[in-house]
Amino acid sequence: MLITILVSAGVVAAVGLFLGALIGFTAKKFEVQTDPKIEAVQELLPGANCGGCGYAGCADFASAIVTKDADPSGCSACSDAMLAKIAEVTGKAAGKKEKMTAVVFCSGSFSRSERAADYNGILDCRSASIVAGGGGKACRFGCLGYGSCARACPFGAIEIRDGLAVVHPELCRACGKCVNVCPRKLIRLVPASAQVHVYCNSLEKPAKRRKLCKIPCLACKKCIRADESHMQMQGGLVRVNYSNPPEPAFVEQVKCPTGALQVEEIHRKLEAFKPAAPAPKAAPAPKKEESK
Amino acid sequence: MNIPIKTWHFHGGVHPADGKALSNSVPAQRAPLLDRYTVAIQQNIGAPPKPVVAKGDAVKKGQLIAEPGGFVSAPVHAPTSGTVGDIVEVPGANGGAIQAIEIISDGKDEWGSGLDPIPNWKNTDREILKKRIAEAGIVGMGGAAFPTHVKLSPPPEKVIDTLILNGAECEPYLTADHRLMLERTEAVLEGAAIAAKILRVDRVFLGIEENKPDAIAALNEKAGQYGVTVVPLHVRYPQGGEKQLIYALTGRSVATGGLPMDVGCVVQNVGSCAAIRDAVVEGHPLIERYTTVTGTPVANPGTWILRLGTTVEQALTFAGGVKTRAAKVIMGGPMMGFAQTSLGVTITKNSSGVLLLQWKETAEYSSNPCIRCGRCVRACPMKLLPGPVSVMVESENYDEAEKNYVMDCMECGVCTYVCPAKRPLVQHFRRAKAEINAKRRAAKAKQA
Amino acid sequence: MDTNEILVLTVGAILVNNVVLSRILGICPFLGVSKRIETALGMSGAVIFVMTLASFVTALFNNFLVTKTFTINGQTVSLSFTRILLFIVVIAALVQIVEILLKKFSPSLYVSLGIYLPLITTNCAVLGAAELNADACRGLISSTVFGFSTGVGFSLALLLFASIRERLAIARIPKAMEGTAIALVTAGILAMAFMGFSGLVK
Repeated sequence: MLITILVSAGVVAAVGLFLGALIGFTAKKFEVQTDPKIEAVQELLPGANCGGCGYAGCADFASAIVTKDADPSGCSACSDAMLAKIAEVTGKAAGKKEKMTAVVFCSGSFSRSERAADYNGILDCRSASIVAGGGGKACRFGCLGYGSCARACPFGAIEIRDGLAVVHPELCRACGKCVNVCPRKLIRLVPASAQVHVYCNSLEKPAKRRKLCKIPCLACKKCIRADESHMQMQGGLVRVNYSNPPEPAFVEQVKCPTGALQVEEIHRKLEAFKPAAPAPKAAPAPKKEESK
Repeated sequence: MNIPIKTWHFHGGVHPADGKALSNSVPAQRAPLLDRYTVAIQQNIGAPPKPVVAKGDAVKKGQLIAEPGGFVSAPVHAPTSGTVGDIVEVPGANGGAIQAIEIISDGKDEWGSGLDPIPNWKNTDREILKKRIAEAGIVGMGGAAFPTHVKLSPPPEKVIDTLILNGAECEPYLTADHRLMLERTEAVLEGAAIAAKILRVDRVFLGIEENKPDAIAALNEKAGQYGVTVVPLHVRYPQGGEKQLIYALTGRSVATGGLPMDVGCVVQNVGSCAAIRDAVVEGHPLIERYTTVTGTPVANPGTWILRLGTTVEQALTFAGGVKTRAAKVIMGGPMMGFAQTSLGVTITKNSSGVLLLQWKETAEYSSNPCIRCGRCVRACPMKLLPGPVSVMVESENYDEAEKNYVMDCMECGVCTYVCPAKRPLVQHFRRAKAEINAKRRAAKAKQA
Repeated sequence: MDTNEILVLTVGAILVNNVVLSRILGICPFLGVSKRIETALGMSGAVIFVMTLASFVTALFNNFLVTKTFTINGQTVSLSFTRILLFIVVIAALVQIVEILLKKFSPSLYVSLGIYLPLITTNCAVLGAAELNADACRGLISSTVFGFSTGVGFSLALLLFASIRERLAIARIPKAMEGTAIALVTAGILAMAFMGFSGLVK
């Protein structure tokens, strides 16, 4: 009995030791050098693989940060705290970057825009834009409303409300996927600090625009005349000057005749628009002077 | 000549209800002169032409108003005499808006093309004839709008031995080519002979579907004099597709991504042939065409000789207006035409038809999954796999779609017609082609 | 060995008594690595290699150590009860070595197989093949052939399943059935299909 225990234990121990030595030898001989920093950085990145940094995925970007000195602030999805942690691991300071957000430059929801035809086909913006009628809305520059951008967003930041794509800036990480997907090139990345935008992309003749949508930009340039430092013309479109964007009070002050110039928070709610009150008539003035 | 010619049957295809009886027995009528024509500037594949007239200029009928923008381009001429108006935007048949030159008519309709007639073309140099075709702005009038003079100038390494005339007109409802072959038989044949002289070929086939017996008889009477062999073909859509036509008449197959000239053939629409004859023999550039205005909602469906720049609204007025509610207004035929959102679309060189359909005559597409029944595979004339490829496109796997030859799809619509799940297959393929082309462009840009 | 014996061994292991679909062994990597054909191919290669080698080495141990009886100091000692222990140790060591070699020579495959590589260790299929060899008291060559065939059978099942799952991924499946649910149903139907081979080998 004892002999059996001793012999079996001995044999198994011997076999184990031999195999262990074999494994140790193989491990040493075929060792692969990896930098533990790459894994550490990869853990800190968001892991969404959105491609906003320009690399193939978070693993690729992590390796680029450690081996090729890539700037961690290239990851638009990282918060400042995360960037600081990455800087701790790599020992290199992280660059500063401005928080950007995506904006859909259109106000044409179903209830606010004219329809040219009924569309019956694939409910995808890129597919609908290939068809001659282009999705059904009369304006050929506006949002098609079938949600290609919403589906492309890895962070779920875009919502389709009443046939209009609207970005939620608090969820947007400015990765740029929506910008590439929109067939009408309606979406642009702008500084998140700007809260006022001109929500129209139409290059149609201004007189025709009213027939296509209830909130078009008529290119009347009232806002540009009000303050040239905040507003400008860019390629035929009236746009906010994003190096010096106006405050929300500017919208109240300018009284855009259609409501295309709007504060982001109000635009997002898609409330019924209120066109600007007509300018008061000059008649009361003489009476006031008389009473003085 | 009516020697029995061996013909081959192409793979697949479908035989939808014809609809041609609405307009095929009515002789073509010439449209009355309008006050205003908005002539689209780009009516060809290739470089856009450049306007050569300014607002207020006086023009004569057939005068040049836009010159070619390159070799693969075609000039545009005034459809009537009068004054040049503004350059306006009109809706394009493919969607979007296109530039057009406004011509205000002076009512006199006087010719002044500046092109001399060449009645003795049989003894005229080929290059002069080709130049005349280029100057006359002739393009493929069957729908492709490829400049004809380029088609008749194949590179020297491609040896051409057959000229094929496309008189198939396989699309339901369309009868323009039918009436043209019946009423202008000799013009079509003479134009074919001119093209054959330019290409230096002896073999000329005119493929025509068997459902046009009167046109076949009329052509057979005169075809021998012009060296053309009339070949009646099996009635099946898309018999008029150029690759299907080449196979039916010669048994030769064009390889994937290839062109007819790779197998020694050149294909010309019969309308283009008549235009060639008018340009050479009369000195008239291309300013009008036979167009079918048809559909059950149209009061008097028929074939009209419409000048370029006529709007669809005006064309419908000629045809007696719309008597029942139309659900779709289509430029072209029901299989490959484009549904329009505006009646301001103008007639261009390749507008073969204006078709109105009632709601009950249209199909409604769904987002149903592919049930893998295989009907589309049996029907595809290009021997592709429409069902599986559409599933690849739905899951955005364009590389797989490219490997399955989606770029060879001719968008004939047969698969969509037969699909029992009512999937919008051609739209999936157009999307795939757009994405693949965008990727190829981006790759090319990166290389440059 | 004559041809008949080889045929019985191979056809039996690959089709009739397929390790995954008939014996229901090695389900973990079967369900885990079969989402894409490329990873399935990589896994198949690894499993065939490990199974063949493991069968050979365990047969060595079995025939020359475990089944032998020693006489020491007049007492007969049999190590037959150490069979499973020794098999596990040998297979674990083999898989570790394969993992190290794979990391060095094919990093992409190493990353894509991920956790499933060490799972070959605890995979009952490899141990199962070794045990079946031991139970049937097969010689060295027969054991190796059997191990190789079992690996091929595993690969066959895995590749078939991966092809089906790639199609399932883009098909419209009811929400409740998506993912593992429909995969298990498919595996069951595939197992039923393989029942058709029973009776091929007596």
